[in-house]
Amino acid sequence: MTYDAAARKNGQPNAERPSDRTFWGRLAGWGPYHGLMRLATASPRRQFLILAAFPILWVLTQHLGPMLQMMRVSLTDAYPVAPGVEQSFTLDNYARFFGDSIFWMPFFRTLIFAVVFTFCTLILTYPVAYFLARHVSRKNQMLLLLLLLIPFWVGEIVRTYAIMILLGNTGAVNLVLKTLGLIDRPIPFMYTSFSMGVGIVYLTALYMLLPLYSALEKLPKSVNEAAADLGAGAWTRFRRVSLPLTIEGISSGCTLVFLISTGFYATPVLLGGPSTTVFAETIAGFFHVAGDQWPTGAAFATIMFMAALIITTVFQKLMKSLRKGEAT
Amino acid sequence: MNDRVELFRGNRIFLACIYWAFVLYVFVPLILMVLMGFKESNFIGFPITSWTLDWYTGIFADAEVVSTFAYSVAIAVLSTLISVIVGIWIAVLLEGRKFWGRTAMFGMTLLPALVPGIISAIAFRIYARFLGIEPGMGAIVWAHAVHNVPFVVLVVMARLSTLPKSQIEAARDLGADPMITFLRITLPYLVPAILGASIFCLLLSFDDFVRSFFLGGYEPTLPVLIFAKLRSGMSPEINAIATVALVLTAVIGVWAERFTRRMNKDS
Repeated sequence: MTYDAAARKNGQPNAERPSDRTFWGRLAGWGPYHGLMRLATASPRRQFLILAAFPILWVLTQHLGPMLQMMRVSLTDAYPVAPGVEQSFTLDNYARFFGDSIFWMPFFRTLIFAVVFTFCTLILTYPVAYFLARHVSRKNQMLLLLLLLIPFWVGEIVRTYAIMILLGNTGAVNLVLKTLGLIDRPIPFMYTSFSMGVGIVYLTALYMLLPLYSALEKLPKSVNEAAADLGAGAWTRFRRVSLPLTIEGISSGCTLVFLISTGFYATPVLLGGPSTTVFAETIAGFFHVAGDQWPTGAAFATIMFMAALIITTVFQKLMKSLRKGEAT
Repeated sequence: MNDRVELFRGNRIFLACIYWAFVLYVFVPLILMVLMGFKESNFIGFPITSWTLDWYTGIFADAEVVSTFAYSVAIAVLSTLISVIVGIWIAVLLEGRKFWGRTAMFGMTLLPALVPGIISAIAFRIYARFLGIEPGMGAIVWAHAVHNVPFVVLVVMARLSTLPKSQIEAARDLGADPMITFLRITLPYLVPAILGASIFCLLLSFDDFVRSFFLGGYEPTLPVLIFAKLRSGMSPEINAIATVALVLTAVIGVWAERFTRRMNKDS
């Protein structure tokens, strides 16, 4: 008599043979697994700990660890420590920064560049985001946005190279200007803060565009129409309605672009010149030479990180108070 | 009624012009770069008078370029695997759960994505030595994996927040333990997000320069190779290499964008 027949005879038509169960059923019934799960889920507290242990460990050692180790090394006199030598802690690496204009000049230049480039990106992408969010039908919005996303999938180096070809002495811009008879000799765009700006704005535009777009998209059309009905012109509508209501998008876009543009290394190296050395190049210099320069490099990177952190925090606070001021 | 249409039309035309000018700004440099890869001359610059495919046949025959390409792809795949697993785990912990220190945990999770590029590369370089990881493939894979985790967490958390709680409760009521509930309900629901995040990580890793540059050994990744070649002079050969990378990343990016959108719509 088969198992099925026996089951039917016993009046248990639904009884299962072990092999009828799915993989999951068998797994759940498998002794060792079952025991382990019961142990793990014995209390909500234990279950949480098992879930949380790995993420917490990962975040502490992998996300926070590198930054903390960098800060620790920045306070030492030598890294890596030579065998037999005692490592001592010092503030000399930080003092070195303030002691020489060759160090702090690129630092301030980087911050000024980053602020200016962020502002340029904002001015450039705001009308684009505005057009997409307010003047295009829902269906075409996605299409036109996707069109803009294509170039931004391409990597940093490739796009930097594309700008080199665009702006070179025999590049496209100079060729066009020459053909139009506007210039006799090519304009040396390359290796200046201009070429660097074009490159960095090109690389960061998307990080501004997306927050602006999502902020503008949330803005109901009726708000603008009401303002228009009340007689507000285009400029007033923009300044008194759209701008204050999209401050959140502006704030997060600017923060992102600022942080990204302070961190560029390859783009300033390739597009900039000797007069536009940025702090990233200064920092990198300490890692190309012998190991004992590492603490100085770490100190400089820490200074850069702290400065970027303070500036973005102050900026965000400022934008928040601006928003509150508008609301009242 | 017509007045209002009139009122906005002027703006609309003006803004449309700006949009298309912006499209030109982002496309023209890349188009020019691609064109230059077909120029029959060693000299980069306009005008282009004669055309050739030699640069392309050249790079596909160049063992260094081909192996660099494979090296970059391998790094991208390995780092993405790690990022995705860790990212899902962190997202499941953070989404919809309240516990002491959650805000701090969330902040620390996002940290690697917010640290400016050069500082992140330096910090990883120092930490790699601290951990005893030699510069090379392992170090790059590790740095890319850590750097990309925040993006996975954000994408997966967004998807998790739309998972109906009733499904989880139903599974638990029917006797499934948390592990099986996760594998059979949560994980299948996350598939579009996981796919999207994976493609994003693959491209981030494949395109990354600064971490690959500071953590690499003697073997360069593709962006590092292009950078090194650029420093010793421009040549249409670089255009051909860059074009292959461009076409690959753009096609995968656009495909993933459309694919994940469709999957999100379906479910």
